[in-house]
Amino acid sequence: MTKVILELKDISKSYGALRATHKLNLSVNKGDVHALIGPNGAGKTTLIKQIYGSEQPDSGQILLNGELINNTSPSVRVRKGIGRSFQISNVLLGFTVLQNALVAELARKGEAFRFFEPAFSNPSLLSGAHDILQGVGLLHQAEKLAAEISHGERRLLELALAIATNPKLLLLDEPMAGAGAEESRHITSIIKSLKSQHATLLIEHDMDAVFKLADRITVLVEGETIASGTPDEISNNSAVRKAYLGDGD
Amino acid sequence: MQALKRSLEIVKSSPTLFILLLGFGLFPIYTSITDLPFWNDIAMRIMLLGMAALGLNLILGFGGMVSFGHAAFIGIGAYSVGISQFYGIDNGWLHILFALLFCAVVGLAIGFLALRTKGIYFIMITLAFAQMLYFFFVSLEVFGGDDGMGVDRAEFLIIDLWDPLRLYYLIWMALFAVCLLLLLIINSRFGVILQGIKDNESRIEAMGLSALRFKIIAYVLSAAVCGLAGALFANWQEYVSPDIMHWSRSGELMIVIILGGLSYIAGPLIGAIVFFLLEEFLPELLFFIAPNYSENWMIIFGPMLIAVVLFTKGGLMAIFHQIYLRLTRRQGTT
Amino acid sequence: MTITLLLEQVFNGIQSGVTLFLVAAGLTLILGIMDLVFLAHGAQVMIGAYAATGFTLLTGNFYLGIFLAIPLTFASGYLLEYLIIRHLYKRDHMEQVLATFGLILFFNELIRIGFGPAALFSNLPPSLSGFVYILPETPYPAFRLIVIFVGLALAISIYILVAKTRMGAMVRAGAANPDMTAALGVNIHMLRRFIFSVGASLAGVAGMMLAPLTVVEPGMGEPLLILSLVVIIIGGIGSVRGAFIAAVLVGLVDTIGRVFLPEMLRAFMDQSAADGAGPALASMMIYILMAVILVFKPTGLFPPKG
Repeated sequence: MTKVILELKDISKSYGALRATHKLNLSVNKGDVHALIGPNGAGKTTLIKQIYGSEQPDSGQILLNGELINNTSPSVRVRKGIGRSFQISNVLLGFTVLQNALVAELARKGEAFRFFEPAFSNPSLLSGAHDILQGVGLLHQAEKLAAEISHGERRLLELALAIATNPKLLLLDEPMAGAGAEESRHITSIIKSLKSQHATLLIEHDMDAVFKLADRITVLVEGETIASGTPDEISNNSAVRKAYLGDGD
Repeated sequence: MQALKRSLEIVKSSPTLFILLLGFGLFPIYTSITDLPFWNDIAMRIMLLGMAALGLNLILGFGGMVSFGHAAFIGIGAYSVGISQFYGIDNGWLHILFALLFCAVVGLAIGFLALRTKGIYFIMITLAFAQMLYFFFVSLEVFGGDDGMGVDRAEFLIIDLWDPLRLYYLIWMALFAVCLLLLLIINSRFGVILQGIKDNESRIEAMGLSALRFKIIAYVLSAAVCGLAGALFANWQEYVSPDIMHWSRSGELMIVIILGGLSYIAGPLIGAIVFFLLEEFLPELLFFIAPNYSENWMIIFGPMLIAVVLFTKGGLMAIFHQIYLRLTRRQGTT
Repeated sequence: MTITLLLEQVFNGIQSGVTLFLVAAGLTLILGIMDLVFLAHGAQVMIGAYAATGFTLLTGNFYLGIFLAIPLTFASGYLLEYLIIRHLYKRDHMEQVLATFGLILFFNELIRIGFGPAALFSNLPPSLSGFVYILPETPYPAFRLIVIFVGLALAISIYILVAKTRMGAMVRAGAANPDMTAALGVNIHMLRRFIFSVGASLAGVAGMMLAPLTVVEPGMGEPLLILSLVVIIIGGIGSVRGAFIAAVLVGLVDTIGRVFLPEMLRAFMDQSAADGAGPALASMMIYILMAVILVFKPTGLFPPKG
């Protein structure tokens, strides 16, 4: 039995004359990885932003677990169960890797509004933070500043922080961007191993990873869906091949 | 036991701060031996400026909010004393309560409006609100307008302040309390999130925390600390005028913080000490070089500020820290 | 309250508005394109006023004084950018505040050493000190009218420069997106230095025009700096058009408020109290105006768009 976590109904958004999203319908089920692909400028990141709440759609509905979340701020949506990783690593660079995880753990438990309680010495917080890092294999770098670890490791931390809040819906905006081949495989395997726990919406340019991970693929061109289906259906779709994948490939 | 352990942890987390506090605590003994009571007065001014700068630095150094209008809160604190006395309330504790209360309320209102903006807009809107309050007090002819109003040293129930030394230790205790409070807050969960917001606000939001709430609370706290400094300042100066909320005073607060080093808790206090020492000694130094120009010490002070920005990263505390590291490393190897 | 008085005050408001615009025009670009909090722009006003007054006293000719002073203000801006300011672009706002605050202290003290702490008075030549009838029976000082014309002429020139020329296109691109300009291959260093020097000259001209109207003293530019910051925020950082509209708005509100608020207050309180509180309340009004605008439009009235 599948459970619909995210449902988009007739989402439209434009910036002046530029149409970023046009009458878009899409749903993501629990346990599925739904990949969004399309050429640059197709409106993938803009769509993620609208789901996350940093941009508002001009019209249409965004439903999370059946609840309309259109007019809420990003932090409220995160508390309602959205986790997001960013295209460009968005971690606390001046904090250590462990402190990044600790802050995420604090936020998840809703125990951040305490003025006198020391932040970093609570055993249950520490063990939670360790688990977060363990999950992505970053524990060995725990004491390093986030600014000092490698780019690939920062992508892992980014992913860890997105998952740390136990989201119902995970928005991944090019999680492998800039990571090496080995690290990409590692990230792919993490996403795959965790996918049963939540619904995942994935943007990724690495087609190998997309076809390995995705249960469904939606192809966006100029803000519109030109095709949507299983990976097999998409790779056999002639319109997609023509518009996007390129025939000779 | 737990409390004691925690206090020790806090003292250990910033030894510089507690050495300075100890120094201020013992300073009157030195001035009475050397018979230089004039220096007590300077020390009080340093402590008051340092206190206000510590308050501002909670949001500036640890929250990344560059407020260019915190002198307004010093002014509100000082006027709380003056206006209370005007209406016949002489209890010093009540004055301080009013100062904290008014600053918190005004801080909440300004914070709520100003914290929607970012970057240069935030700097400018805080400046605008401060100017608004400045002209508000200039317009209040009842309380002296431009010329200000006289203030008597308040009675703090059993302690009256006829002896300047009592005022000295009142200020010292207040400074001590402010330091403890700020250290607790900075190391607390709230403080860590606040520093996280300074580092990367969008990540904190992505973790499901509303950055605005943290920022507003920090803003109010820092306003209240400046208000406390202002209330004590009115007692020290025995006079309040809109001049203490002039925009250049807000600039002075920032100078003190950046001079000392804004990412260090002790930075503002170091900055305040250096600021006053320069103000005292630069004219004397100039007198030796060019006797006719000893009053024009700003001609050296200005470029010094520029040099601090251009050649140090993180103010004087950063330099001390470097020296300390180098010294301890040398000891370690030999 | 007569029509004559009102008209006179409107002219005064426009005159102070265009003066304010000359200070704000350069500063809005400095803030917008260079993302630099530059507090020493008021010192440029002071330098302009002292240069013009100094050269006038030296040569005995008002026009020659101004003619010599303009290149000097340009040079001072150029030199300042080259020596100090270009090292500040990459620094954060707080450090910029500190360094440019240091510059204010330095320039004020330099002027104090050079010209003494007392105020200088600049006398207008007889040809400029007459009156012009803007309406029958409404005389208006000729020099103030000239200030308005010069200010408007400069505003139009700046508008043409920014809106119609290649240099202006770069400036606009820079205001909307500072990183893009560098990527487009524009020589950002020269662009910055040019804007900075022109901005300094415009502020200097504002100082020259103010000199005969007010006193010339150390620190004279600071009230103007604070007001022009308000203008820039209301207009939208980086927008020259916004700065112009906001400058005239602020000039009118300030001038008219100063005259008519005390009169209105007299209805509620005795005359001396009203006269004391009026100007301060008028000054407050500008900041209230700014706060209200920022609450509804957090990036000002005309934020530059890419």
